[in-house]
Amino acid sequence: MKLRVCILMLVVVTGWIVSGAEAITTSEAPAGMVAVPAGEHRPLFALPNEPKTLPVARFGLDKLPVTNGDFLDFVRANPRWRRSTVKRLFADANYLKHWAGDLELGESARTNQPVVWVSWFAAKAFAQWKGKRLPTVAEWEYAAAASPRRPDGENDVEFQRALRHWYSTPAPAELPRVGAGLPNCLGLFDLHGLVWEWTTDFNSAIVTGDARGDTGLDRQLFCGAGSAGAKDTGNFPAFMRYGFRSSLKAPYTVHNLGFRCAKDL
Amino acid sequence: MTALFSTTRAWLAATFIVVAFGLTSCATTSTDSRERPPCCREIKSSAPIPDQSLYQLDSQWTSDQGRVIRLGNLQGQPQVIAMIFTSCEFACPIIVNDMKRISDALSPEVQRKVNFTLISFDHERDTPERLLAFRKRMGLPMAGWTLLRGEEDDVRELAALLGVNYRKDARGQYAHSNLITVLNAQGEIVAQESGLNIRTEGIAEKITAAAK
Repeated sequence: MKLRVCILMLVVVTGWIVSGAEAITTSEAPAGMVAVPAGEHRPLFALPNEPKTLPVARFGLDKLPVTNGDFLDFVRANPRWRRSTVKRLFADANYLKHWAGDLELGESARTNQPVVWVSWFAAKAFAQWKGKRLPTVAEWEYAAAASPRRPDGENDVEFQRALRHWYSTPAPAELPRVGAGLPNCLGLFDLHGLVWEWTTDFNSAIVTGDARGDTGLDRQLFCGAGSAGAKDTGNFPAFMRYGFRSSLKAPYTVHNLGFRCAKDL
Repeated sequence: MTALFSTTRAWLAATFIVVAFGLTSCATTSTDSRERPPCCREIKSSAPIPDQSLYQLDSQWTSDQGRVIRLGNLQGQPQVIAMIFTSCEFACPIIVNDMKRISDALSPEVQRKVNFTLISFDHERDTPERLLAFRKRMGLPMAGWTLLRGEEDDVRELAALLGVNYRKDARGQYAHSNLITVLNAQGEIVAQESGLNIRTEGIAEKITAAAK
């Protein structure tokens, strides 16, 4: 009898544990975020002996880029990140230059436009304040590969044409609001077509220069980069993002560079 | 390159131009500063730290002697800094050797005033013990050489500040920039030299100037 009870208890407890584990692995993304399923990312440049694809674990990603309105809440709560107080080490002199004042957006910065003129440090601090983090290059590229119709956007001719168009058009003087375009099939807005976005390891590019022919790497400058080669020389937008990221430094702020946050799920 | 890209590059170039802003420092005190993550704590400024000083960083580092420090603890003497990892097969021993050559190029008087600091990329494998073994293997004296390890995020942040790019490959080895940086006594970058088997004269002069 005792044994039976024990077994019954064990079954019940195991049931709890199993359902608990399921609850964790299928946990919903927090409000405003999308749960991006685990998958594989094919880096543009592979190092020697490196597999062609890198696994990307399931993670949460903000549906929308961070807006001026969101960022205003952040600097209200964190005086250290206001335009007049931020240290030059963490943001260059153009930090939030489109705002009317420390705590005032003004005419050139609408609440629902993506925030730009922010440094990597400021973006990282915002994410940390929210209990989130910045996405990695692999996570961002993996999520951004999906088109409105299919997860493998590289095989979506129409999507590729639209991408080439955006990446070859100057940013408009006035940025559109966030979320105005079509979401991709994961439910994420504005990964292409609005602003460029910071990633946590933007400084992981180990190629000098930004030209796609530049695979004769300088072993003097980079250890281990000896024979890295591009996997897909036709993916022009990816080269542009790679080149753009490698031209950045962490305190830089740019008129069309914003960010969104990610989170482990 | 395309129009967007050239515009972007132009803007990037523009950010190099230092615009003299009339900065008013708002001294704000916050009561909950201890509960905040390091990003959002107010910086305690007992001694004034320059705006561009790396010593404003809050991150904690552990030395090969097991001592936990903030970079601000290095304040007061010029630092010659490089980022390495101890299982590096190619470049790191050359970088360390370059730093020794820089040290040899200094006058004994300047040498005493300067500290050489090596910081590991490899937050997983480079424990204080492994750093100590590396110190012995490379024949680095106790005096004047500091070896540090830190957490992943803090390593990424410091690398971003120094302008060091790096990435871990599938074998757990790091591909990284080969870069030696000189900080003055207040923690500002005063010189950088990239490459391997570098010429030491120029950088030695800058260190000597920083040590005055």
